Amino acid sequence: MAAQVLIVDDHASFRRLTRRVLLAAGFDVVGEAADARGARELIARLEPDAVLLDVMLPDGSGLDVARELVRGPHTPRVVLTSSRSRSDFGASFDLPGGCEFIPKHELSGPALAELLGGA
Amino acid sequence: MTQRSLAVVACAAVVAVLNTVDVARQARLGVADAETWVAGAAVYLALGVAVVIGRWPERRRTALLMLAWLLAGVVADAGLDWPDSRPAVTVWLLAAALQPSLYAHMVLSYPTGRVRDRSERGFLVVAYSVTLLWQLAPALFADFHCPGCSPHVPSLLFVGQVNLTVLGKVFSGLIIGLGLAFLVLVARRLRGSSPAARRTLLPLVLAAAFACAEFIVLRAASLSDWSQAFGVLNWIDLANLLVVPSAVLAGLMTIRRHRGPLGDLVIELRAARPDQIEPALARAVGDPSLELALWLPEEQRFVDCDGAPATVERDAPGRAVTLVGSEDEPVAAIVHDAGLVEQRALLEAAGSAASLAFQNARLQATLRAQLADLRASRARIVAAGDAERKRVERDLHDGAQQRLLAAGLALQLLAADRGNGELLAEAQAELQSALRELRELARGIHPAILTDGGLPAAVRSLVDRAPVPVTVDVPDGRYPEPVESAAYFVVSEALANVAKHAHARSAAVSVMRDNGRLVVQVRDDGRGGADDQSGTGLRGLSDRVGALNGDLTVSSAPGAGTTVRAEIPCGS
Repeated sequence: MAAQVLIVDDHASFRRLTRRVLLAAGFDVVGEAADARGARELIARLEPDAVLLDVMLPDGSGLDVARELVRGPHTPRVVLTSSRSRSDFGASFDLPGGCEFIPKHELSGPALAELLGGA
Repeated sequence: MTQRSLAVVACAAVVAVLNTVDVARQARLGVADAETWVAGAAVYLALGVAVVIGRWPERRRTALLMLAWLLAGVVADAGLDWPDSRPAVTVWLLAAALQPSLYAHMVLSYPTGRVRDRSERGFLVVAYSVTLLWQLAPALFADFHCPGCSPHVPSLLFVGQVNLTVLGKVFSGLIIGLGLAFLVLVARRLRGSSPAARRTLLPLVLAAAFACAEFIVLRAASLSDWSQAFGVLNWIDLANLLVVPSAVLAGLMTIRRHRGPLGDLVIELRAARPDQIEPALARAVGDPSLELALWLPEEQRFVDCDGAPATVERDAPGRAVTLVGSEDEPVAAIVHDAGLVEQRALLEAAGSAASLAFQNARLQATLRAQLADLRASRARIVAAGDAERKRVERDLHDGAQQRLLAAGLALQLLAADRGNGELLAEAQAELQSALRELRELARGIHPAILTDGGLPAAVRSLVDRAPVPVTVDVPDGRYPEPVESAAYFVVSEALANVAKHAHARSAAVSVMRDNGRLVVQVRDDGRGGADDQSGTGLRGLSDRVGALNGDLTVSSAPGAGTTVRAEIPCGS
């Protein structure tokens, strides 16, 4: 069965295209959220297997959402993403345990498949 | 001629006439002795001095007090000549009673004619009351009887023979107390005066203290029935009559003598810096507490010599203000000891002498204020520039960069769909380079990591991208935003130069806080020879650091590596 993925990003065009990239790579995209609040809601409701999570959301940090997920009862696989490189966040960029990071310019179906542990 | 100065001349004329009549009458009766002639002459001398100082507005009250004292003395003397007239004797007694109080009043209020505080005013009220009561009671209610010195005098409101001996002793005790209080007040007055004011006061105050001490001793002697004392008392009064005008004259002389330093002041001020004017004036008039405030006409306010706002209080206790220039458009205000008021002419002359230096100081104060404004506006311009760069970075990030990212994804999908792999792969590669360049551009405009992670994180990210090994020593801590930006760009530009020109094997970055300044240093072991005047990079840095009141130095001897060092004030 295809892994169920939730996309969290505030840019609609990015969400739309990522959905298609993920579908093409064999994932099942179960939902999209534009901000941290929507992400929390949908994760609680849909319990996806994986979340593609933008670091900078209009109402907070994707990192905070990821930390909550790691601590929470239902822990999906979390891949954080950003249009900035990891080095732009500095050495203190603290990825919560079990989470992965991929810059948006490296985003592709196979790359995600590898990080999300296969479709 | 004002009313006051007319009063001085009129009073002097009255005293002169009474004195002449008295002396002439004593001569005609053949009772004139050495004392009569000396006293007569002394009164004329004192009258002369009173008229002279009465022409000076600040001394007019003193002149009037002096004349009142002389008048009381002359009337008291003349009254003795009509021993059978009740009114004459009563007036004589009252004049004699007022005389010591008038004397104390004159000395305490010298040289302005005004007492300075409540304790002096209180003393005078008590002194006038006690001395008047002392004489008024016997004048109204008892026969005056002084065995051996005058015939029997009937009182105005005779109520019977009253023994005043006990009452007299009580009053004598009170008078001694008042004398002691007077000495204390006089000493306090001397101690609280500026050296210049003290020089004016000293002759009269010393004479008065001496007279008062004698007065106390004699009163004490009279308490123990030492009747000879009265003869001595007369001679002390006489001596006082001579000493007072001489002392006032001596005080005048010291002021005249102090006009001398004015010449020195003019010469001293010719080459004086603004901060030297105040002490020079203080020395010239002999008042170390003197303060100077310059008037800024454009801003309608006073400032001190450093350009900081200054308040000029006209009614501060013990202080007085002399304006230089006109009342409406002053050049400066001199705030000084109130005791110098009688030297206003000296102060005004000193002020005029210093006028040119004031103008100069005022220009400098204005210039300093403008310089401070300029520095502030320079810092604001840099801050505005930084804010603008930050906005551009965010716009690039949210706008163009997102579009390009999306286009990249679209190409990816196309490549998978159509199998037209080669061309699409090329487009993808181009897009990737555009994205990379855009990222570099955004980072150069304003590094997001600086805002989010502060200087240590931002410097480390710079070092990570450097082509040679770089050691880093940056303590944790946040600084004001403009300081962090300037420090970051110093490191960024210096490391870029290391990469481009230095041919270095390694470099070292250190940031430390030293005495309220952030010291940023980037050192390499390259070929040196860099010039901080050529190239826009280092000059731009120098401007940026300068806007924050900091310094940028580049030392780069050929073959000895390059050290770029910036010191930026960063608050405490």
